[in-house]
Amino acid sequence: MANNFDKTLDECIDRINRGESLESCLADYPEYVKQLEPLLQAMLQTKDAYEFRPSPNAKKAARQRFNAALETLERKREARQPLFPSLFGWSRALATVAVVIVIALIGYFGLRPMLFPAGTIPQPGPVPIAPSPQPSTEGNFVFLISDDVNAIGDFESLNVSISKIGLLPGGDAEQWVEFEPEVSEVDLTLVPGDETQEIWRGNVPEVQYTKVFIYVTGVHGILKETGQTVDVKLPSQKLHISKPFQVTADTVTSFTYDLTVVATGSPQSGIKYILKPQVDQSGADHEPNKDKAKDKQP
Amino acid sequence: MSAEAGNGKTEARRCNEARLASLYEEYYNKIAHYIYVRIGTKTEAEDIAGEVFLKALESLKSYKERGIPMQAWLFRIAHNLVVDHLRKASKRKTVPIDTVQIESDANVVTLVEKNIELERVNRAMEQLTREQKEVLGLRFFGGLTSKEAGSILNKSDGAIREMQRAAIAKLRKLLVTDY
Repeated sequence: MANNFDKTLDECIDRINRGESLESCLADYPEYVKQLEPLLQAMLQTKDAYEFRPSPNAKKAARQRFNAALETLERKREARQPLFPSLFGWSRALATVAVVIVIALIGYFGLRPMLFPAGTIPQPGPVPIAPSPQPSTEGNFVFLISDDVNAIGDFESLNVSISKIGLLPGGDAEQWVEFEPEVSEVDLTLVPGDETQEIWRGNVPEVQYTKVFIYVTGVHGILKETGQTVDVKLPSQKLHISKPFQVTADTVTSFTYDLTVVATGSPQSGIKYILKPQVDQSGADHEPNKDKAKDKQP
Repeated sequence: MSAEAGNGKTEARRCNEARLASLYEEYYNKIAHYIYVRIGTKTEAEDIAGEVFLKALESLKSYKERGIPMQAWLFRIAHNLVVDHLRKASKRKTVPIDTVQIESDANVVTLVEKNIELERVNRAMEQLTREQKEVLGLRFFGGLTSKEAGSILNKSDGAIREMQRAAIAKLRKLLVTDY
């Protein structure tokens, strides 16, 4: 009982913080009016007494110090760039690796006719990817996309093209389970909050997975306000998240990969949009697999 | 570390810096307000709020999105700075809460009444435990949810709700008895 009241009081505090009136909150909880009203009055009294708006000058000065610190960081980063960008603008390490590979290839192909006479040239070995699972309506695994609400309200539409999904099983083997989504484009404005869109359903090996990636080939956003296309940045085309989950027999595992678009900058300096994975909102749910449960019945 | 991994980390850092910058406008005021209620002086609250963002920028390397949103993480930094400030202040002379500045053309009666009310609420707040004050500060002035407040104070959201109810009930009692 006290627990319920605590939750109701908490809900009312959140609503008042968001700008709702005391009366509208009380109207929704007639059973608690007598207890709620004095407490919420005390809250409002306290908030009124401590009314405070920082001076615009103090805020501006602090913002300038913050911007200066940001610029210093960026300058330090630029200064740390290697002084060996000459080879096609590559870093020293990358350039060294490239040179070693070129030498190795020249050596290999130069000696190949002697090492491997005609008909004995070895074929390339298997790549570390498990056989690609096929989609199926009765699969044990469903992959969904959702959008955690941040700046999605700025968009008329925000289409994200996904060409590949990868799951990394736990253990030592670095063998990704990769497959192509059946639905390769998702409009994130249609899947805000708890809404999701299924983009693949099928069977995957019944093991524990530790990481998930999606390969994003394009993002196309149209702003509500102007109707114009806007550039949405990606931290990387391959968006990885570490979120362990288990796929088991007898259950259908639904993994929701949550994306979110955030706005940075200001109207003066220009707003930039960034699309990124939202790890804490992503994850798996399980529900009984009716088909498999049926199979097990005598 | 490969160049690609290095670039990835730098990009992730830049992305977090951009997010932090985007939170500035919305959260500077809330953080300054929260600090003001905890320490009682407006100018120092403004300074410390600025320091919160600088500290966050310095510590961005250690920020991971698991479990705690960036705005709640900013309040955790603010909380730590407040604790430091109060520790130092306790060694100095006690500083009373700011009084309302009376300007020449202002309605003097209203301002004086406001000042009296502030002192009354402040007396009541002083009777609460340090944790109770912390919870009310984060909930009323920081605008954080109970879950976010719990992540800062290392408590469950249920425990925060319970403390919140007890704190407001005590505050109410004190306000009623102190005319």
